[in-house]
Amino acid sequence: MILLFSGVVAVLFGTGAFLMLKADLFRVVVGMVMISNAAILALIGSGLSRGAAPIHPLPDDRLSDPLVQAMALTAIVIGFAVTALLLAIAYRVYTSHESVDLDELSREEVRRERELEREEISP
Amino acid sequence: MRTILTETVARLLVAPAFAVAAAILVKGYADVGDGFAAGVVAGLGVLLLFAAFGARATHRVLPVRRAFAVAVSGLLVALVVGFAPLLAGDPPFTHRPPPEEQVVKLGTLELISAVAFDVGVFALVLGVVVGSLDYAARVRKGDW
Amino acid sequence: MVGLVTAQDAILLFVFWDLTAVASYFLIGYDSHRRDARANALMALLVTGISAVLLLVAAVLLYDEYGTFSLPLLFQAAEPGALVTTAGALVAVAGLAKSAQVPLHFWLPRAMVAPTPVSAYLHSAAMVAAGVFLLGRFYPLIQTSGILLDLLLWTGIASMAVGGILALTRDAMKQVLAYSTIAQYGYVTFMLGLGGAKGAVGASFYVLAHALMKSALFLTAGAAAEAGRDDRLSRVGGLARTHRALAVGSGLAAAGLAALPLTVGFFKDELLFAAALERGSPWAAVAVGSAALTLAYVARFWVSIFLGPPQGTARAVPVALVWPVVLLGGLVLAGGIVVEPLARLAAAAGEATLGAPAPAEPAYHLDARAVNLLALATYALGAALFFTRARWAPAARAVAELGERGGPERLYRGALRGLNLLSDRIHDVEVRDLRTRVASVLVPAGILVLLGIWVTPTGGYDPGSIGTADIGLVLVLVVATLAALATAMTRLHLTLVLVLSALGFSLAVAYAFSGAPDVALVAVLVETIVALLFLGVFALLPREVLRREARLKTSRSRRWRDPLIGLFSGAVAFLVVWSALSRPAPEASVAGDHVRLAPDAHGSDVVTVILADFRGLDTLGEITVLAVALLGIATLLRRGRTT
Repeated sequence: MILLFSGVVAVLFGTGAFLMLKADLFRVVVGMVMISNAAILALIGSGLSRGAAPIHPLPDDRLSDPLVQAMALTAIVIGFAVTALLLAIAYRVYTSHESVDLDELSREEVRRERELEREEISP
Repeated sequence: MRTILTETVARLLVAPAFAVAAAILVKGYADVGDGFAAGVVAGLGVLLLFAAFGARATHRVLPVRRAFAVAVSGLLVALVVGFAPLLAGDPPFTHRPPPEEQVVKLGTLELISAVAFDVGVFALVLGVVVGSLDYAARVRKGDW
Repeated sequence: MVGLVTAQDAILLFVFWDLTAVASYFLIGYDSHRRDARANALMALLVTGISAVLLLVAAVLLYDEYGTFSLPLLFQAAEPGALVTTAGALVAVAGLAKSAQVPLHFWLPRAMVAPTPVSAYLHSAAMVAAGVFLLGRFYPLIQTSGILLDLLLWTGIASMAVGGILALTRDAMKQVLAYSTIAQYGYVTFMLGLGGAKGAVGASFYVLAHALMKSALFLTAGAAAEAGRDDRLSRVGGLARTHRALAVGSGLAAAGLAALPLTVGFFKDELLFAAALERGSPWAAVAVGSAALTLAYVARFWVSIFLGPPQGTARAVPVALVWPVVLLGGLVLAGGIVVEPLARLAAAAGEATLGAPAPAEPAYHLDARAVNLLALATYALGAALFFTRARWAPAARAVAELGERGGPERLYRGALRGLNLLSDRIHDVEVRDLRTRVASVLVPAGILVLLGIWVTPTGGYDPGSIGTADIGLVLVLVVATLAALATAMTRLHLTLVLVLSALGFSLAVAYAFSGAPDVALVAVLVETIVALLFLGVFALLPREVLRREARLKTSRSRRWRDPLIGLFSGAVAFLVVWSALSRPAPEASVAGDHVRLAPDAHGSDVVTVILADFRGLDTLGEITVLAVALLGIATLLRRGRTT
């Protein structure tokens, strides 16, 4: 199981990283979501025991580790907040630059900076 | 997106969504689910209204514009419940009643301060979900 | 300041130290619309702030060696050696920079752009005194090393000389006082450097006395500038005729600074001479020289303002500007007649500095003992300097000019410009491409982690065991893997989001199979909301924007690079997670306690009890993040409308 968990986490992280290298802003956001999913899965996987849900009255067989579950819950919620914020940022970028393409955005930024510098030199 | 089908489904589902949210909230401390889950379920209910009847109709039925206030008051409730024990000289998040005492129950609702904390979380999450949807909807309409 | 002087902990001391720096930044930059005010405030912040970092470094060094940040414990534990000397030197530099000692003095005269009461406060009480306070606080460490004491000694001498000479050349009143402050704190540093009980007590007494006199003089400068309509010494004069009370009050303060008898200032010099004599007569000569310089510039300051021909008609000055000066002047006089309270205070401070009893008996002795002779020599020399000032003024001005040409301030400006250029260059390189930035974080981070794993081997890698009960979990995880891989292949945004939620839901099922129903429930809900948010934002964008992105071809250079980086990061993540999961923590875990204690908290679901009770603070932090995110979203979308 350990090997399987680490494998899945690795795939999630790797594809997330791959998506974050894309030019499309939304793919970058999706990449972030995948990486946070990888982290949550790693948290759940790091539970010291796996078994029945830890709810009283306790069953006889093994219990799942409740601590990692609480941490995973916190991580999920924070991941959600971050995702929502990132989407808002992506939208904001679109409204001010009319583009969600990072290549275009960086080209434009360089261009604007050049303009500013030119203005500074010869006001 | 507004068809008879969606409207009917929405009408049918909204009340259950809130009922489920309330159930999760009051049962929360004894069984699966907490304030966060309840908040998201209730938020989804509001979202359903948005999708089926449009923003304007939803605004008429529910005080959606208060979402931010709801969120902030939820945060305040949680803060107060968390840090009120400091006034009594206890560490933060010392919940009442203490372990040895019996809990007063109203049906399935247990009167524990931890449940109050959960209610705060619920209000905050509901506010966040509804608020962000509402902001997006308003951007669409150009309606600030 | 109160926090600073009461702190018993090096880190706390550092925090308050920085707080005073930040506070003074705002005070100096009070006239924020003036460019020079801003620049000079920044200079003060940089010089004192950067030196504050040295203080932190020293604290960490000491902690590393002795395992405590507590100052009293440190002083007990510290033994003379290279480490303590280094730490002491760092502390000393921090203190000296704050006290505006040569060569880090240049910020103080610049800081005079602040309103006059601020200058008075900064100079006499807060900012600058904090520097010598720090020296005193760490004195037990500093005095273990002869090199450090010599450093203090020579810095003090340099400051006395530079400050004194420059104070004689300046025309603006506050500039004169600023350089005088540098020179005066040079005295204090000098006395600390002299070492011994007399030095410590003298330094403490000096700080006290100086605070009284210097604030009076600063307030005088403010009032005189108001009355004479100009803040340059050459443009005011004869104010004694119209402003008698002010003249008397500031005269007392000036006499104190010049160490005339019957003022508290006399004793400060008495202690100075005593400390210097103890060390040897050359040092006493230095002391006399600098005290004479003080006398000369103080006399110049007071005489230029209050005597001589009046320049234009003097304006009336509000009483509120005058009475503090008179009060402080009166205190100077009172301290000169009844010195006991101040002396006791200084003795206590000196004792704290030394960590040993430090007697101080300042008193008048009407005989020809050495201290008195030195004082007389000072008066003679100072008077001579003052009355022959026309002769040597050009020479002093030349020295000042030399300092401006090649002084440390020039170095500071050069360094600032260089840093600006460097940051521009880095910004240029960095800004061009966000993704290169991501890649340049991912790859080096991965390499570093690999190095870490290689250097500190964790032992075995455990593949774990799979039972028949786990089949559901295995299947779901396989589905999740496939969904994850599929996200990398999709082109259309709609499909991308659908595949993402498929991944999320399969993970939620996996949580359910792992005995985590709470997590599963929340994961399902969050997945739904996230998918809806994505779709909502897509609906806000014109269709062509997304379509163009979907059709975009990957450039040839990236076609191989991006997947390779993805593979590499995935492999590193695999190694890290596997090695971490293979080494479970010891048996006794908190989780067991949580399960056992949950009924006591009146709850059955252990996870929710943990969230709301045992680890309630975590949850509070988490929902605060949510609230902040909502705030961010609201702000971003609202701005999106208006521009």
